[in-house]
Amino acid sequence: MSRSYDRALTVFSPDGHLFQVEYALEAVRKGTCAVGVRGQDVVVLGVEKKSVLQLQDPRTVRKVAMLDDHVCLAFAGLTADGRVLIDKARIECQSHRLTVEDPVTIEYITRHIATIQQKYTQSGGVRPFGISTLIVGFDPHDVKPRLYQTEPSGIYSEWKANAIGRSSKTVREFLEKNHKDGMSRDDAIKLTVKSLLEVVQTGAKNIEISVMESYGKITSLDLSQIEAIVADIEREKEAEAERKRSRLAATAAGQAAMMQRTGESSGQ
Amino acid sequence: MNSFVSRFASTGHDVELRKAREAFGDEDESLEMWGSQAGFGPLSKGVPSFSVPAVPDPSAFLRLHTDDHADPSCRIKIKHGTTTLAFRFRGGVIVAVDSRATAGSYIASGTVKKVIEINPYLLGTMAGGAADCQYWETYLGIQCRLHELRNRERISVSAASKYLSNLVYSYKGMGLSMGTMICGWDKTGPAVFYVDSDGTRLKGDVFSVGSGSTFAYGVLDQGYHWDLTDEEAQELGRRSIYAAGHRDAYSGNTINLYHVKEDGWKFIGNYDVSEMHYEGPAGVGYGYEIRTAGKSSANPPPEPESQTAQT
Amino acid sequence: MDISFALTGKGYVIVAADTTAAHSIIKVKLDEDKIKTLSPHLLMAYTGEPGDTVQFAEYIERNIRLYQIRNIYALRPPSAASWIRRSLADSLRSRKPYSVNLLLGGYDTSTHTPHLYWIDYLGTLASVPFAAHGYGSYFALSLLDRYHDPEASLEEGLATLRRCIDEVSKRLIVSPGKYKVKVVDKDGVRELDF
Repeated sequence: MSRSYDRALTVFSPDGHLFQVEYALEAVRKGTCAVGVRGQDVVVLGVEKKSVLQLQDPRTVRKVAMLDDHVCLAFAGLTADGRVLIDKARIECQSHRLTVEDPVTIEYITRHIATIQQKYTQSGGVRPFGISTLIVGFDPHDVKPRLYQTEPSGIYSEWKANAIGRSSKTVREFLEKNHKDGMSRDDAIKLTVKSLLEVVQTGAKNIEISVMESYGKITSLDLSQIEAIVADIEREKEAEAERKRSRLAATAAGQAAMMQRTGESSGQ
Repeated sequence: MNSFVSRFASTGHDVELRKAREAFGDEDESLEMWGSQAGFGPLSKGVPSFSVPAVPDPSAFLRLHTDDHADPSCRIKIKHGTTTLAFRFRGGVIVAVDSRATAGSYIASGTVKKVIEINPYLLGTMAGGAADCQYWETYLGIQCRLHELRNRERISVSAASKYLSNLVYSYKGMGLSMGTMICGWDKTGPAVFYVDSDGTRLKGDVFSVGSGSTFAYGVLDQGYHWDLTDEEAQELGRRSIYAAGHRDAYSGNTINLYHVKEDGWKFIGNYDVSEMHYEGPAGVGYGYEIRTAGKSSANPPPEPESQTAQT
Repeated sequence: MDISFALTGKGYVIVAADTTAAHSIIKVKLDEDKIKTLSPHLLMAYTGEPGDTVQFAEYIERNIRLYQIRNIYALRPPSAASWIRRSLADSLRSRKPYSVNLLLGGYDTSTHTPHLYWIDYLGTLASVPFAAHGYGSYFALSLLDRYHDPEASLEEGLATLRRCIDEVSKRLIVSPGKYKVKVVDKDGVRELDF
């Protein structure tokens, strides 16, 4: 039935769907997870890194890319599509500096990327980009951290915290529960790692964290730092579980004691 | 890197791009659709919609028909001869211009508006070809408004001036004649940019353009410092243009004075150069004879009055 | 009327250019910077046709930056020089060539060598120990033949540059007032008070 609506050209199905775009979203859902969290004056990007094969060089697989001194992008979906889009965005960043002297604003470059993605849903002989992106950074002359998302359809939107890719729904729900306004740097990083741990079972070695603290100041956390944070979270979880267990044990003991007492009294 | 090279090489901007568009079919159109070039989509086409005279060498054609020095009977007499100035100081930007338009030795008009109000925050001045300045600075106003709508913030003076500079640069060698100052106030504070049809674009504190600029500089440079009060600054602008209006045959009639502050520009007033010469803005004439009336450099020996005093 | 000098020394390149922007007989601006920092270890002084100079320099600047963002590492001076020369040579054969003369000074951090290139608007590229463009070259080149020392310390290099500038001020009718002096070495680019 629907077969004639999902071929090379993106055309509407009778009920108003663009199947190619929806399939692109499916490709995003299959991609590795990426999380962005905005704090008080910091913005954090966290991505799930696929385990590299034994003989592969891990440095060649990167999911977070610098677009300009003050803009960072992470994506989920088809890595090859991401590379192409990143290159277009990098050119635009330099072109913008060339034409108006100022660096791009985060919204500007987001809109530019989204516009490219949209174009690929409305042209003949092309297929949509199979990626969603998270774009973070600081606007020139501004101290407010920014976090934007784009989708294959060309939609873009601003967020306090968001996730894309595999199990993004779970992670987003986790973020909705745990995100607070005005988080410190450490809290924002911790929340990012925590939310990633919801979907990354293998822990620190499969997590990559980039932190932007102000205009043009970006740092990537190294493995030991992430491991420390993960260990910290594990400890907290352990303590929480311990508390729960002891509370449970206490109530169980209380109940047992009660039972015993009633037993004793009935026995008497 | 190649795509970037071919897209932004500014050699023969419009010509090259038109050629490229022919070669690549809709490739160029698609670039425009992506809203490239900092949101200035239309420029990526090199402004080809504006047609160039259908002659092999537009600037030679123009020279042939406009050079009133070599040929007083030439067909087109371009209006030029002007004094304009703008300077930046603690309290904003002062823009002052004269109002005379000459065509050859003939005063074509004495009431020309040489300050172009691009929008409530930006002013442009007019020197060189009146039509070129008027047309392109109005066009700049359109683009500034579009920038505002697209990016939800006002265009910076730097970006606006750069837009104009790139635009005139794309017409370099085709006979455009403009010397303009783009003045305004943006996030960085007061700003003045000098842009001319060579493609030169300079950021600075003090500029003066036109045939009378040397006379204006003479007064302006000596009276200028950053911490002028608003009144002092306006007086300095007015007096500098007066000086040029007085000394330069191609400048004069009246002075138009503007002051750009944080909340936009304000028109201060129109002053007649002759009136300024005799009465000045406050009853004290600017003219040398008026300013020095009653003073004499004669230095005769003192009267031998000591004798009379003794008797 | 633009004047620019550059010279190499032990582990550095000094690049100097005057700071006046002139229009007929008027100095329109006295503190114009005509030396661009293209990458952490690369400087370019540009002189020539008004309009062309800045357009070309900014175009080069953005492309070199784009290269660095794409590849993490910036182009090394010899590669940058070749690419810039090629851009000029291509431009020369277009309908409207850039009339720009360049001095390119860079420090190669992997071989610890300073590089200086003299490039003119015709697309000539020459690797040289010292260089000059504009009227200044008529005075400075002979002077530098006599006084330049490839192993000079920075202080000695600056003293030699001072000789060039003094000579031009003394003998050239329309000598510019002020110069901007930048140096590039292993620590990157910095401007010097001169």
